[in-house]
Amino acid sequence: MLKINQLEVAYGDIQVVWGIDLEVPPQSTVALLGPNGAGKTSSLLAMMSLLPIKAGAVQFKGEDISTKKTHEIVESGLVLVPEWRGTFATMTVLENLEIAAYTSKARPLQKQTLKEVFEIFPRLEERKMQKARTLSGGERQMLAIGRALMLQPELLVLDEPSLGLAPLIVDNIFDVIAAIKNRGVSILIVEQNVQLTLESTDYAYIIETGRIVQQGPSAELLKDDRVVEAYLSL
Amino acid sequence: MNIILQNIVSGLLVGGVYGLAALGLSLAFGVLKVLNIAHGELIMFGGYIAFFAFSAIGVDPFLSILIVFPVLVIFGLVLHGTLFTHIVRFEEEDRIKNSLLIGFGLTLILQTIAIQLFSADERSILTAYSSAGFELGGIRFPLIRLGALLLAIVSVVLLEIFLNRTWAGRALRATSENWQTAALNGINVRQTYFIAFGLAAGLAGLTGVLLATGFSVAPSIGLQWTLKALIVVVLAGLGSIRGALFGGLLLGVAEALSAYAFGSEYREIIGLIMFVIVLSVRPQGLFGGDHA
Repeated sequence: MLKINQLEVAYGDIQVVWGIDLEVPPQSTVALLGPNGAGKTSSLLAMMSLLPIKAGAVQFKGEDISTKKTHEIVESGLVLVPEWRGTFATMTVLENLEIAAYTSKARPLQKQTLKEVFEIFPRLEERKMQKARTLSGGERQMLAIGRALMLQPELLVLDEPSLGLAPLIVDNIFDVIAAIKNRGVSILIVEQNVQLTLESTDYAYIIETGRIVQQGPSAELLKDDRVVEAYLSL
Repeated sequence: MNIILQNIVSGLLVGGVYGLAALGLSLAFGVLKVLNIAHGELIMFGGYIAFFAFSAIGVDPFLSILIVFPVLVIFGLVLHGTLFTHIVRFEEEDRIKNSLLIGFGLTLILQTIAIQLFSADERSILTAYSSAGFELGGIRFPLIRLGALLLAIVSVVLLEIFLNRTWAGRALRATSENWQTAALNGINVRQTYFIAFGLAAGLAGLTGVLLATGFSVAPSIGLQWTLKALIVVVLAGLGSIRGALFGGLLLGVAEALSAYAFGSEYREIIGLIMFVIVLSVRPQGLFGGDHA
């Protein structure tokens, strides 16, 4: 579904991603794990054409998307929930969800998807007339994911969905991610919460200072001594 | 007492035009983060189109908005496509700086073109109803200025409906809040920039029509109106549409009262004083904070 080939990303002279390969097969949940500043977010932004790609290629559904515009990539079914959540603070919850059905593919399905999103997140329906800025962190993450669902994603990319959330809410969010997966949406999840992410994904990549240093089925990585030592032992 | 009331009413009637002048500037800045110093020149061209439509083929100025608005929208699209579209690729801070330079150059070019085409004379439209008006409780309401205020209010209402109810309008609001998030919502940001700039130019054109009718147009008026618009935008808070109208009315009343109290030479100063005070005490603007 998604194939990243020798991707390099740089901010001016400062290179942050040094040729990573990554693949998300259809119907799968893949994790990209690593510490702060490893180049996770930069890779995602480059993939979405929000940062220039220095070298390498990104393929989505067999098509090269590295020269496409962000909105075209979104329209083709690759949807990112960014680290900064990507909700519009001055708009109401309902307006946030409505505008997310902006693409020509999503518009005719707007009403139907809105109902589904409210079924997944009843809390959002209770707050639909509230401005997004008045939501709690957890609610805002729900809105961010709900917004992404409005866009009819085929591959949903989540950048640190657990960031800044209480453990109980993190569990809740991961349950929702599992439910989304069951609807046939592929998922790429970028996280620092290694344990929980490995438990809920099929395959994982570990990135450090811009390079993939390890990869394998998530269940195996959970038992891997080096991974346990570096990320899981406290 | 009546004189003060009369001044307040006159101020309100002029203030509508100030509000309309600020509306386009605020819209372009809010969405594109581009400050178009040549906004006043767009107003000036709108005024000239209305003037010649009236003097050459006798089109009523309030009808000529149907010509002026689309012509200025197209002019705005061309300006954006040839000049400003190149700077919206930059980070927001660089956009402002570069747009100031481009706008300043554009100001000089448009002014010179206007002098060549229209001569440096002041022009204004004199219709049969230009001096008409009525009195209510001893206060005079000139018809043309009343029409101008009405047009400003209608423009604000229509713009708000557009921004809140239509896909394109909501895309403008989304882009003005965060263009990256807007793009991640599938919004074509480049196209949105064109729409915002075109609309801003069209609104400048409407302002020009009101100038040609209630005031006068000359090639050199641009800077003065850009300044008025800037003051109103700062008073109102950036991106606040209704705020732009209220800010305009406030400036109009403040000018009229200060001219009455201290003499007309102080008319221009009060706006600048308010500008400085608001910037230092409440930089988000009087009606800002909840922008969009």
